[in-house]
Amino acid sequence: MSQRYDAIIIGAGHNGLTTAARLAKTGMRVLALERRETIGGALVTEEIHPGFKVDAACHQAGALHPGVISDLEQALGVAPEIVRCDPAVFAPQIDGRHLLLWRDPAATAESIAALSRSDAENAKPFVELATKAAGLLEAAYDQTPPDLLSVGASDLWSLVRLGGRARRLGKRDMMEVGRLLTMTVTELLDEWFENDLLKGTLGATGISGMFQGPMAAGTAYMLLHNRVGMDSGALRSTYRVHGGIGVLSRALGDLAQSCGAEIRTSAPVVRVTIRNGRATGVVLENGDEITADRVISNADPRHTFLSLVDPVELTPRFVRQVRNIKYRGACAKVNLALDTLPSFTSGEAAHLGGVVSISPSLAYLERAYDDAKYGDISQEPYLEAVIPSISDPSLAPHGKHVMSILVQYAPYHLKRGAWDQSTKDQLAEHAIKTLAQYAPNLEQIILERQVLSPRDLETDFGLTEGNIYHGEMTLDQLFFMRPVPGWARYRTPIENLYLCGAGTHPGGGVTGRPGYNAAREILKDVKRR
Amino acid sequence: MASQNNYDAIVIGGGHNGLVAAAYLARAGKKVLVLERRHLVGGSTVTEEIYPGFKYSVLSYVVSLLRPEIIRELDLAAHGLELLPLESTVTPLPNGDYLARWADHDQTRRELYRHSPKDAEAYDEFGTLMYHLAFAIKPILAMVPPDPTSLNPGDLRSLVKLGNHFRGLGEEKLYSLIKLMTMSSADYLDEWFETEALKATMSASGVIGTFLGPRSPGTAYVLLHHYMGEIDGAFRAWGFAKGGTGGVSEAIASAARRFGAEIRTESTVARVIVENGRAAGVVLENGDDIRASVVVSGVDPKRTFLDLIEPGELPGEFVHAIRRFRIRGSSGKVNLALDELPELACLPGRGPHLRGAISISPSIEYLERAYDDAKYGGFSRHPFMDIIIPSMIDPDMAPPGKHVMSIFVQYAPYELDGGWNDARREEFGDAVIDTLSEYMPNLKDIILHRQVLTPWDMEREFGLTEGNIFHGELSLHQLFFMRPAAPWSDYRTPVRDFYQCGSGTHPGGGISGASGRLAARTMLEDM
Repeated sequence: MSQRYDAIIIGAGHNGLTTAARLAKTGMRVLALERRETIGGALVTEEIHPGFKVDAACHQAGALHPGVISDLEQALGVAPEIVRCDPAVFAPQIDGRHLLLWRDPAATAESIAALSRSDAENAKPFVELATKAAGLLEAAYDQTPPDLLSVGASDLWSLVRLGGRARRLGKRDMMEVGRLLTMTVTELLDEWFENDLLKGTLGATGISGMFQGPMAAGTAYMLLHNRVGMDSGALRSTYRVHGGIGVLSRALGDLAQSCGAEIRTSAPVVRVTIRNGRATGVVLENGDEITADRVISNADPRHTFLSLVDPVELTPRFVRQVRNIKYRGACAKVNLALDTLPSFTSGEAAHLGGVVSISPSLAYLERAYDDAKYGDISQEPYLEAVIPSISDPSLAPHGKHVMSILVQYAPYHLKRGAWDQSTKDQLAEHAIKTLAQYAPNLEQIILERQVLSPRDLETDFGLTEGNIYHGEMTLDQLFFMRPVPGWARYRTPIENLYLCGAGTHPGGGVTGRPGYNAAREILKDVKRR
Repeated sequence: MASQNNYDAIVIGGGHNGLVAAAYLARAGKKVLVLERRHLVGGSTVTEEIYPGFKYSVLSYVVSLLRPEIIRELDLAAHGLELLPLESTVTPLPNGDYLARWADHDQTRRELYRHSPKDAEAYDEFGTLMYHLAFAIKPILAMVPPDPTSLNPGDLRSLVKLGNHFRGLGEEKLYSLIKLMTMSSADYLDEWFETEALKATMSASGVIGTFLGPRSPGTAYVLLHHYMGEIDGAFRAWGFAKGGTGGVSEAIASAARRFGAEIRTESTVARVIVENGRAAGVVLENGDDIRASVVVSGVDPKRTFLDLIEPGELPGEFVHAIRRFRIRGSSGKVNLALDELPELACLPGRGPHLRGAISISPSIEYLERAYDDAKYGGFSRHPFMDIIIPSMIDPDMAPPGKHVMSIFVQYAPYELDGGWNDARREEFGDAVIDTLSEYMPNLKDIILHRQVLTPWDMEREFGLTEGNIFHGELSLHQLFFMRPAAPWSDYRTPVRDFYQCGSGTHPGGGISGASGRLAARTMLEDM
């Protein structure tokens, strides 16, 4: 078989597809190879029970890079419908009270005022500050991180522009934003608010997917990361893709194909072929070898360098750096098919359209982390549940529902035992029991349940150690340190081998940003030849 | 009024930084007055005979960060400063074994090899890297932080210099430094070592004085901060001052007096006099008012700006920044007078290990659980302890044959659930002695006297707000140009002629004197 491509992309996750489309658009011959039967990586909608469809892994949409949206609109006429849930969050408290975070700040303030008047007043200035900080991050996210040791002219220019942007915030806000980046989300929220439920529910966005509690430095950054590109006036936003998140993956696949890229599923790559220090193609599991001028990996950095590349091609120092990337998956998924809508002890059915957040206080979240810190599953976990069938009846039979629950903390490295059926059952029971404290009928209405442990996330979706971000989003693994110091510009020590996944700047989330940035850098190199 | 201008400078607080500032000002020919609330100078750096015949280094107990240039420039040796090396660290383990690190490199290597050949190899490489990193940080500790938002040429020059300095470090060191600034000490050490007790004992120095556990990001920096120990130019050395840590304060005070500074004890400053937006002197608690051209405060930022100055004299934003400055105390101190030498179960007899530090830090999990207790408002039931027996190094600290023991204890939160009182203090002391007795079986039988200090006591007796030994946490957002609040990190304050020189300013806590020296330099520039 004589096949030759300009670029091969390993993994058709949303970032891989974004890169594929961007490259193919310039006329390059692009092939995207996906290990699974369906494209989309962790963004897939699956039938877990006849007639019940659920976003198996990732169940929320993020803020896609505007460039990706315009690519979609241009190529397909219309981008997938993003549902902006309202309320975005419903957070019940055990005493029957609850908190609602709406898209409309006034409605949110009203809900907060029932818990704390001063918090209701502080919400607006807090959102303003957080939005400013997220705006600055967004500007940094659009850029390829500079190489600190040899800042080139173009880097210098973009740094100066970024500095100028920061300066426009004014001296006071600039200092304030700088301060936020290294703080703990607990410190940040304690400075602004007093109500535990509110702080827990906002703080949850600082720890989601992280093997850290809210008292860890860098969690305030994570809260800001999760705001980038989202509704600027709201305390929290919840986005969902109508029809399930798999619709977005298919649209990105269609986009790539319409640009001329070829996509092959059930085509696992086992090795990147390297000759004279240059990537020249890939070998598939079935033994087929496909050659290309360049290879771009959407897989996470550890999988890419330690499984797909022959170690002799890398320096021991680089291998050590890659080994030291922290993954440590922190969450699991419990997906349920439900006979009817769960009834919560407070709130109304109309409140359940966004995220149902079990985050009564920051101390609750910290205690949940304490268990995991020593290698146990949280007895009372932090839960982020969504019931997408409320706004989208196509996902479940008439009158029935699907519920997808992100359960944290579920450490990948268990101190006792392994991730087998019994530990998975235990995890699901902790999660369901916890949620049933707020929705007592839950246990009776479950028709089917699917549990994905961090190990399942690794096996099924190729997420190393079950980390949903392709590597922890801690301060030491961000910007010019992501994935490893010195190699944050989507290039790798092997010529013509690139990275384009969430393991690169600016990291995890459904944004397409790493893929978008990677394509820009690759095209620069293509042009140079 | 102006005629009552008796002094060029008044220093509030005779802690070691205040004394250093006073000495440098006096050395430059200024007429200086130091006002100390207690009956002796030194602040947290004092030796006191709390029990007849036994001298305690009451709070601070080891010296390592004291800047060599201060020792040199103030000629502290001539004023009686004598630093004795602390030669080993022993970590007793619950299984009856121990992990030791000795002054002798080969002996340490053999000992580490016994636990893990891999760690023995890594230890040297790690030490070399830390040495270089500490060296790289050194110039920063000795510089006045620039304002990064300023376009003023002085600040810009400083920033460019700083940028070039970092780039000059080269790839490996630069990135290691960034990792140290952002990671947890446990994660950082996990990249190097496998022996639990080694990682824990090294991590312990990363959590000393902070309200964080070894798994909290940000603690790796404190690890480096403690690696910067330097005695008389010998890098990474830890030591003990002859006569206890009070010996350091005495020497600096003596130097200051020699240069002409006047030091008054039992003189509590009630407030700073501000006239037309300028500091003009202070009012003592007894009503006396003393005038000076400039006033500098060595007490912590909260006391300085929230108690000593009329709130109306400071911009609201600045007051807000000081209010939210994090200063949670996390440690306690237990000092013991002992009838004889304690014996370690894992190393019986009177060995050289008793002349060094004994660290109760058997594993990362042990430290982390100690932190968990404190996180939710309790004191650690099984705390981390850093212990020395000063009388083994300086026999003058106790009567012949008897001993004093200094135990630094963590964690003890300032905000204890239900609050601190005499009963809770003793309960805390019991937890310390009970835990320590597991490793020193004869301890309970030989205690003649015990002094227990909680963060609450440290606040009341030593003026440390919330009992924080560093005058404010050494977390990333409270360092360098953010310490104590941007842009007032250059030792100046929003009130003209009013300065700060305590550990609440760059470069932070420890007996370094760097803040006092840099503050004096800034003041002399302005004067």
